[in-house]
Amino acid sequence: MSTVSGPRSPNDEAQGLPPDKVFGQGAGFRTDSVDEWHRVHAVSPLVRGWLAVVALIFIFGRNSFDDVLASVRSGGRQSPAGAPAWLILLILGAAVVVFGIAFFLSWYYTRYRVTNDHVRVNSGVIFRQQRQARIDRVQAIDVVQPLLARIFALAELKFEVADAGKSAMKLSFLRLDEAQRLRAAILARASGMSVDPRQPSAAPQAPERPVLALTPGRVAGATLLSGISVAALVLCAAAIGVLIATGSPSILAVFIPLALAVAAAYWKAFTTDCNFRVAQSPDGVRLRYGMLDTRAQTIPPGRVQAVGITQSPWWRPAGWYRVHINVAGYGSDHRDSGARTVVLPAGTEAEVMTILGLIFPDPGTADPLGVFRAGLRGKGPAYGFIHSPPRARLLDPLAWRRNGYRFTDTALLCRHGVFFRRLQVVPHERTQSLSLFQGPLMRRLGLADFELHSTAGPVRPVVHHLDLATAQDLFTGQAARAATARRIGRPDRWLEESKHEQ
Amino acid sequence: MREPISPTGLDFRPVSPKLVTVRLLERGLGSLLTVAVASLPLVLSLAGPWRGFPGWLAWGILLLTVLITLWRLALIPRQVRAIGYAERDDDLLIRGGIFFQRVMVVPYGRMQYVDVSVGPVERAFGLSSIKLHTASASTNAVLAGLPAAEAARLREQLSARGEAKLAGL
Repeated sequence: MSTVSGPRSPNDEAQGLPPDKVFGQGAGFRTDSVDEWHRVHAVSPLVRGWLAVVALIFIFGRNSFDDVLASVRSGGRQSPAGAPAWLILLILGAAVVVFGIAFFLSWYYTRYRVTNDHVRVNSGVIFRQQRQARIDRVQAIDVVQPLLARIFALAELKFEVADAGKSAMKLSFLRLDEAQRLRAAILARASGMSVDPRQPSAAPQAPERPVLALTPGRVAGATLLSGISVAALVLCAAAIGVLIATGSPSILAVFIPLALAVAAAYWKAFTTDCNFRVAQSPDGVRLRYGMLDTRAQTIPPGRVQAVGITQSPWWRPAGWYRVHINVAGYGSDHRDSGARTVVLPAGTEAEVMTILGLIFPDPGTADPLGVFRAGLRGKGPAYGFIHSPPRARLLDPLAWRRNGYRFTDTALLCRHGVFFRRLQVVPHERTQSLSLFQGPLMRRLGLADFELHSTAGPVRPVVHHLDLATAQDLFTGQAARAATARRIGRPDRWLEESKHEQ
Repeated sequence: MREPISPTGLDFRPVSPKLVTVRLLERGLGSLLTVAVASLPLVLSLAGPWRGFPGWLAWGILLLTVLITLWRLALIPRQVRAIGYAERDDDLLIRGGIFFQRVMVVPYGRMQYVDVSVGPVERAFGLSSIKLHTASASTNAVLAGLPAAEAARLREQLSARGEAKLAGL
């Protein structure tokens, strides 16, 4: 039925896509016309407000339960202090009505619309808000399913633009299939993919290719071999020390809350990374993870600003790495404990290379494996890395041969750390600004720090303690490379360009 | 003085020397407050309530504060002379600092917006500050002490070049 060719709109000279760009025929899926509005699912206020409802029931329930107990204990007489049952019921009923009306009004006044160029959300009862965002400015789209929403087969859709962490559009909740259709519709518009003019509202859903999945064993192992275990060991040692010093086991009760916190941290780390899967589609990289609450993230091509690969000392025997990214829409992301910016919670070197291949299809070097291996584990000048001069030994007695950089045709690689190994990769065209820094001690030694500024996120690329002349070369050279890369940079609409790589 | 860390072969323009006066005034006012606080132990121990307070410590605190304040004030002329900026075809370079030197390059195509701000003391001397914002929060590109006309010219220039070289994120 729907062929994907032909001009999308009169002012848009869209070229017909080559045959291999014709996606699978998706089922009924459309964007909205000018006057079409939708509301989120009717159950969603309950799913969003269930905590308030539970708290209400708990508080009133406990009070009346106490009253009932008191009246039983006093031999059936009404306790004089407790409120009469009808009052409790009245308050409860009033609360239900008030909450119900508030929920209903907030649901009724929240409407959204996805047109060919914009997403719009109107919300608010007293203070009305109308928000409109350009679709081609999308940085990422998340489909989130908290546990309760999963029970109802609902999902929350988050549309991220480059405003450092706040969602431009957050629709909670939609039916899961509706959320997925909406995501596909937005991504199809954002990609600038040409659409059949006879059926302007039909667009196919981009097919996915599974790339990798983490086994539960890997996730469990990574959780056990983490900083949480270090904290747990320290806690155990402290507990034993206290026990020996005082000799009274009752003092160990102090450690119970801490032990609970450790257990909760283990649980959270495991359930978050559980079922971690990565897939590739023309819409971008798709990540899915979570055991109870699940999340599916889509990051369109060219939205990744920087990548950070880290390895802690306790992961070294297993050879695992963790991969973080900076995406302008995710920001520094403190709310979700950083899970959103992780594209690989614990992966082997081969898996890291696979992920890097998805994010940066062109490594810009003939031997990517060798170069990245040198960046991840290497020391010294092998594979073209330029590291700190020997006189930096005063400041970095162990890491001076490791602290270094190398640039390829497409990206800058910064590596550091002996115990906690880190490699940061920034594509030249994603460079925001650069700076050189020199403190008094570095000045005496003729060294300088090089910093590259990326958007807000967990990756802050920096090269420490370079030789001053080298740092100046890097500074001017990187500015020039970034300028060249910007000029030939990819447009926002990634499928509009005919030579787009698969 | 050793040579600055900024790349060689560039013509850095200095900011207005009037910035020295502005900074001296601004920092001088703040320093008066600091010195007043630092002299509290001495005043209190002389006046009575803190009679037990060791006199050498009270004097020492005051003396140290005054010395540090004077040194910081004395540094201002050199600090102002160290500030410079250079406009290139694709980007703007800003340098500053004596002991902690920093040089920053901000590409025109990466600028999201430009702020020009004028404080009360600055206004009295006809100066303005300009700040460039990129999508990165780490870009801390502030250029203080520009004559108002130069600030306006730079703002227009930056906006025009930003428009011409605009790239996405």
